[in-house]
Amino acid sequence: MTSIVKISNLEKYFGRLHVLKNISLEVPERQVVCLIGRSGSGKSTLLRCINFLEQPSKGTIEVDGIVVHGGERGRENRQLVHDVRLKTGMVFQEFNLFPHMSVLENVIEGPITVKGMDREKAIKLGEEHLDNVGMLFKRDEYPNRLSGGQKQRVAIARALTMEPRVMLFDEPTSALDPELIGEVLNVMKRVAKEGMTMIVVTHEMGFAREVADRVIVMAEGELIEDARPTDLFSNPKDPRTKALIDRYRSGEQQ
Amino acid sequence: MGIFSGKEQVQKSQAELLYEVQMRKERHFRANVGLSWFILLLILILAFSGQSLTIGSVTFRGIKVDTGFIANNLSFIAGGLGETIRISLMSIALAMILALLAALGRLSTFPPIYALSTFYVSLIRGTPLYLQIFFFFLALPQLGIILPGLIAGVLALGLNYGAYMSEIFRAGLSSVGKGQREAAIALGMTPSQTMRRVVLPQALRFAIPPVGNEFIAMTKDSALVSATGFVHELMWRSTKVGRAQFHNLEALIMAAIFYWGMTMILSYLQSRLETRLAKGDR
Repeated sequence: MTSIVKISNLEKYFGRLHVLKNISLEVPERQVVCLIGRSGSGKSTLLRCINFLEQPSKGTIEVDGIVVHGGERGRENRQLVHDVRLKTGMVFQEFNLFPHMSVLENVIEGPITVKGMDREKAIKLGEEHLDNVGMLFKRDEYPNRLSGGQKQRVAIARALTMEPRVMLFDEPTSALDPELIGEVLNVMKRVAKEGMTMIVVTHEMGFAREVADRVIVMAEGELIEDARPTDLFSNPKDPRTKALIDRYRSGEQQ
Repeated sequence: MGIFSGKEQVQKSQAELLYEVQMRKERHFRANVGLSWFILLLILILAFSGQSLTIGSVTFRGIKVDTGFIANNLSFIAGGLGETIRISLMSIALAMILALLAALGRLSTFPPIYALSTFYVSLIRGTPLYLQIFFFFLALPQLGIILPGLIAGVLALGLNYGAYMSEIFRAGLSSVGKGQREAAIALGMTPSQTMRRVVLPQALRFAIPPVGNEFIAMTKDSALVSATGFVHELMWRSTKVGRAQFHNLEALIMAAIFYWGMTMILSYLQSRLETRLAKGDR
């Protein structure tokens, strides 16, 4: 199987702080990877390095055949980064919908402005994706009239309308009220079922166990464990993974 | 289910009751404020009516104004309204452009641009508006630059307000969260697309109400331009006829009424605009 995302020897410093330490990772097509770990372990930073919302200090990122070396600058590098961003869709913890645009406008903004798609075609495509996440009925509503779960579903549709090769989710349910988490996870499951390659930073162990093909545990800027969810949850090798899983288990029981 | 919906109805009507009481209180308050305004206005009119009023042993004698002068010069002074509005509109347009540029300059990481922006704001805010107006009318001609009165006035007012309003636009730009930029970038937008499509529309919406306030202030500050004698707006016209016929009192009262009326209308429009923007708060 070909890898869509290939990270080699990635290093990231924030000033003196060493947040990602020599990370190498390959994600094959159609795989769903969950990145878990305590806060501050570097999982969000790793995700954000893939589409260069954070600039890697060293190492290479390869997305669908486009190779970008970290720490480089200049026009050529900017073009490559732009190409990588077209291949990746991102969903944020805080949704980040554009508040001055309606739901549909949010979704078609990317294809029209970035890809130069004509409006009618973009609307057709946008409506299709809104329908897929069950949000077509709010097509002309503005984001401030939506619940958190609805906002996140629109944000997922917005990213999918760009037809990316890989979807990046940065704690997509962490800002949601508990009763709204389910609808977003269901949409994500659907996206996974349709064969999208997904990298998901999450605290939702249930989702990781049920949907992920692979769970990667991070601690102190390193990948400490990388396994199938059944193996990882039943037989964690690293004591830090065990501690993490135990904490979630006790949380679930409460 | 049935029980619950019944309970909800009771709660709802209680909330409605509370709301009604609150609204009644508010209406009552507003009515009293309106009445007090009316009385204050009546006193003011009485004070300039020339009538005397005796309460007990105390007699108030009203100021007598020359109604003949007012009638004769009303249309002349009113003729300055258009000029006042014209100079204000042109100046606010210039000020908005300068303010936006200055605000963007403040965000620049390129030192000369940042410096230019802060230099402009510092220079303009560090000198009086009155001086700036005279600079354009009196100092520039010495260098051989003679501007038409209106243009010089608009330049002075626009430059001055632009420096003050740059803060408004800066606040508007910084009101747009980092997440908005990141979402745009993640979609693949270039920095200029991000600015045009995502940041500016939100920043400008944020800036509309305070810009309205600045415009109202500007209609009054435009009176300073009269000092140069080249723009025949409200203030110039009222001082001209007032001085010539030694009826400054009447002339200034007339101008004051025009300014006051104008700002009341503009403030009303401004509050309407603000509620409309708040409703569509997106």
